[in-house]
Amino acid sequence: MLEALLLLPLIGSGLVFAFRNSNSKYLAVGIAFVQMFLTFYMLSQFNNVPTVDSQLQFEIIKPWSSYIKSTLHFGVDGMSMLLLLLTNILVPLIILSSFNENEKYNNNFYALILLMQFGLVGVFTALDGLLFYVFWEVTLIPIWFIAGLWGDEEKRIKVTTKFFVYTFVGSLFMFIGLIYVYNHSASFELTDLYNANLNEVQQVVVFWLIFLAFAVKLPIFPLHNWQPDTYTFSPTQGTMLLSGIMLKMAIYGVLRYLLPIAPTALLGTSGQVVMILSILGVVYGALIAIVHHDIKKIIAFSSLSHVGLMVAGIFASAILTAQGNFTFEGAQGALVQTFAHGINVVGLFYCADILIKQFKTRDIRQMGGYAKAAPKFATLFMILLLGSMGVPLTNGFIGEFILLKSIFDYDKVVVIFAGLTIILAAVYLLRMYGKAMFGTGDERVVSTLKDISNVEFVVLASLAVVVILLGVFPSGVLEMVNSSLKFIYSSIKG
Amino acid sequence: MSVLVVLFLTAVLALFSGVYNQGKFARYIGILGLLVALCVSFSPELAFFNQYKSMFDFNENAALFTKISLVVTLLIFFLGGFAFNNHRSHQSELYSLMLFSLIGAVILFSFTNLVTLFLGIEILSIPLYVMAGSNKTDLRSNEASIKYFLMGAFATGFLLFGIALIYGSTGSFDVHVINTFSIANPKDLMFVMGIMLMLVAMAFKVSLAPFHMWSPDVYQGAPSLITSFMASVVKIAAFFAFFKVMNLAFAGSIKEWINILGVLVIITLLLANAMGLAQTNAKRMLAYSSISHAGYLGLIFFGANSLSVYNLAFYLFAYSLSTVGVFMTLIWVEKLKRETSFEAFKGLAKSEPLLAVVTAVSLLSMAGIPLTAGFVAKFNIFAQAMNGAAFLVLIAVIGSALSIAYYLKLIISMFFHTETSFKSSEKVSITYNITAVFIIVAILTIGIYPDLFKILFGL
Repeated sequence: MLEALLLLPLIGSGLVFAFRNSNSKYLAVGIAFVQMFLTFYMLSQFNNVPTVDSQLQFEIIKPWSSYIKSTLHFGVDGMSMLLLLLTNILVPLIILSSFNENEKYNNNFYALILLMQFGLVGVFTALDGLLFYVFWEVTLIPIWFIAGLWGDEEKRIKVTTKFFVYTFVGSLFMFIGLIYVYNHSASFELTDLYNANLNEVQQVVVFWLIFLAFAVKLPIFPLHNWQPDTYTFSPTQGTMLLSGIMLKMAIYGVLRYLLPIAPTALLGTSGQVVMILSILGVVYGALIAIVHHDIKKIIAFSSLSHVGLMVAGIFASAILTAQGNFTFEGAQGALVQTFAHGINVVGLFYCADILIKQFKTRDIRQMGGYAKAAPKFATLFMILLLGSMGVPLTNGFIGEFILLKSIFDYDKVVVIFAGLTIILAAVYLLRMYGKAMFGTGDERVVSTLKDISNVEFVVLASLAVVVILLGVFPSGVLEMVNSSLKFIYSSIKG
Repeated sequence: MSVLVVLFLTAVLALFSGVYNQGKFARYIGILGLLVALCVSFSPELAFFNQYKSMFDFNENAALFTKISLVVTLLIFFLGGFAFNNHRSHQSELYSLMLFSLIGAVILFSFTNLVTLFLGIEILSIPLYVMAGSNKTDLRSNEASIKYFLMGAFATGFLLFGIALIYGSTGSFDVHVINTFSIANPKDLMFVMGIMLMLVAMAFKVSLAPFHMWSPDVYQGAPSLITSFMASVVKIAAFFAFFKVMNLAFAGSIKEWINILGVLVIITLLLANAMGLAQTNAKRMLAYSSISHAGYLGLIFFGANSLSVYNLAFYLFAYSLSTVGVFMTLIWVEKLKRETSFEAFKGLAKSEPLLAVVTAVSLLSMAGIPLTAGFVAKFNIFAQAMNGAAFLVLIAVIGSALSIAYYLKLIISMFFHTETSFKSSEKVSITYNITAVFIIVAILTIGIYPDLFKILFGL
C-alpha cells in the first residue's frame, strides 16, 4: 500500500518526463488524482485507534546499506497520515491550477512537481534519520528548478540562489546533528535515535543543529529573509508547493525528530529562545503584512505570522511537558492548523494569482471592483479568507483556538502578543480583500474583467469545501493525531 | 603486480604506434590495455603476484585503488577522441604519458618502502609536467608546465630530505620497521622532523592549503583532458599514498603530526571554498573545488578505523566520477567557445541536454546532495571524523555551505539562461554520450544503493 504511494509519483514523474507532448499535463494530473484516491483508500484502511504500542501501520522495512546502519524503514501513524492527506489532496489541485496557462509549462514542469511529491511522501513516512534527511533534500532540487526556470523573469536567479543556499546550509547543520546523534546511538532507526544517551550539553548542541534546518524552512523570525522573495517571484504553483506543503515538513520534523531526540534542551533557555523568536515572528510578520501593497508579499508575511503561532504552540506544550505538566494540545492545535493553513494559503495564493492576471499588477492599490465582475470568485475568495482569519466554522478556527489556549497555559503575557495574530490578520486580509474586490479601479481595466474559468472554479471550490468541512467537523483530524502525539510527548517527559 | 606489466607494455605500444600514424591508434591501444589491466586486477591469481614483498605489497587495498583509477582513466581515454581531435601531432605521446603516470599511481598503491614511495611519486609526476605543457603554442600551458615542475621539484626536495631524516633515525626504508620505531620512540626529534618534511611534501602533492598555490594555475593552463586526469587519477594516487604512509609508517607518532594536519585541513576548507566563490572561470572554479575536496578528504585521518580505507576509496571514486563528468562538458564548451567562463556555459541545457544533465548531476554530487554518490561519500567521512574531531566536521560543513554557491553558478548558467546558442554543426560523438550516460547512472545508482560500490569492485 505504502509502496504504491511512494513509487507512483516517482514512476509518474519519469513517464511525464519522457512524454514530450503538450498533453503531458493530463497525464500528470491523472497520476496525481490516482495518488489522491490511493491516499483516501489508505485512510479507509487506517486504524485510528491503534493498540497501545504499535501505532505504526503499513510498515516497510528493507535493508539499505551494509556499512551505514540505516534501513529503508517507512511507516504511517496518525501524524503522517494527516500530512500525506494534505500533500496528496493539494498536489492534484496545484497541477490543475496551472491548466489555464497553455504555453508556459511543459512536461518538465509537471515531472518536477511529481518528483517533489515523491520527496514529500518520503519525508512524511520515513522512520529512519538518514532516510528522512535524504528525502528532505530530494524535495529541494525540483522546487529549485521550478522556481528558477519558471519564476519571475528578472529576479528568479538571484532569488532562487538565495533560497537554495539558505535551505541547503540549514539542512547541512541538521545533517551533522543527525550524524552526531548517530555516533551515540546504535543506528539511524528512529527509536535508536530517541534512546541515544546524550548528556545535557550534547542535547542542546544537537537541538540547535537540527533546529536550524527547520527554522530556515519554516521560517522562524531572523532566518525568514529568503521567504517573501521566493514566494513572490516563484511561479504560483511553486509558491503553493512551498507554502502549502514544503513548510509543513519542518513542523513535522520538529515533532518527529527534534523534540524526542533532544528533550532536555527544552528545560534550559533553548526552548524559551525558540518561543520568543516564534512570537516575534508572529507579530513581525503581521505588522509587515499590514504595510505591504504587493499582494503576494502580504500573503507571504501572513504565512510567516501563522507559522510562528504553530511553532509557539508546539513548544509551549513541549516545555510544559518537559517541566512535568503533561500536555500535548499545543501540538494538536498546530497539526490541525498545519492542515488548515496548507489549504488556505494555497487557496489565497491562487486567488492572488488570478487577481494579478486580471489586473496585470501585484499592487493592491491598483486593483479594484472585481467583485462585481466575478461573483463566483468573490464568494470563494471570501471563504478562504475567513478560513485564514480563523473565523468560527472555518478550518482556521479550531486550530488557532487550541494554539492560543496552550500558549495561555504556558505564559499569560506571551499569549497577548500571540493573540495579536488574529486581530492583525483580520486587518491585513480584509484590507486586501476590500481593495481588490470592492475598491474603485481604473475604468478601462474594470471593463475588461472576467469571472473565473471552470478550472479555476473547480480548484477554488474544492479548497473551499475542505475549509468548511474541516471547520464544521474538526474532531476527525484531532483524533487522527492524538495517539502519535501522546507517544511523542510522553517520550519528552521520560 | 601484473597490472604494472600490462600497463607498461600498453604504454610502450602506444608510444610506438605514433611512429606510423598521427596517433589515433594510441587511444585504442590504451583503451584495450586498460581493459586488460582491469581484468587482471580482478583476478586474485594474477593480481596478487608479490615477488618483491619488501618493496611492493599488492594487497586488497592496492587492488581496490588500482581498479578505481583504471576505471577513471578509461573514462578519460573515452573522452580523448574528442578532446584531442584537432591536436595535430603528439597524440600518441600524450596517451602513453598518461599510462606511464598511471604506472606511478599503481606503484603508489602498493609501496611498502619509502624508496618505492618516492619512485612512485616521481613516475606519477614527471609525465604530468610534460603533459601540462603539451599545448606548446599556448603561453598559459607553458606557464603551467614550468610552475608545476618547479613546485614539484620543491616537493621532491622536501620528500627526499624527510626520507633521509627518517632513514637516519630508523636505519631502514621499510614502512613496517619504521612503524615499530615510531611506536617505540614517538617523540624522537629527527624522526618527527622527517615526518613533518614528508607531510609538507605530500601536502604539496594533494594540494592542501597553504601548499596549494600551484594548482589553480596549473589546472587552468594544462589542456582540459590532462586537467581532468590530474584532478582525478593523480588525486586518488597521491591521497592514498599520503594516507598509507601516515597510517602505516607513522601511526605511533600520530599525536605529533595530527594537529598540524588538522590546521592544514581547516585552512584548506575555508580558503579554497572562499576563493572558489570569487571565480568567474569554470576551470579555475573546479581547481578550487578540487583543493577543497582535498580538505574534505583530509578528515579521513581523524577518527581512523577499519572502514577508513573503504571510506577513502568511496569518496575518491565518487569525486573522480563527478570530476570527469564536469570536465567532459568543459572540454566540449572550450572546444566550441574557446573559453571556459561561466558565460560560455549559458544555454547549454537547450542545445546539449545530456551534457548539461551530466554536469548538473556531477556538481550536485560534489556538493553532497542526497541520492548522489557524493552524498554517501561525504556522509561516510563525516561520520567517521565526528568521533575524533567534531570541530573539523563543523568547519567542513561551513566549507560545504560556501561551496554550494559556486556549484550553483555553473548549473544556473547552463539551465536558467537561454541567451547564447551553440554551433549546431558539431555533434556530440557516441563515445561522449556513452560516457555521459555511464557517469549519470553510476553517480545515481551508487548514491541510492551504496553497497553497489562494494559489489562492483569485488570487496
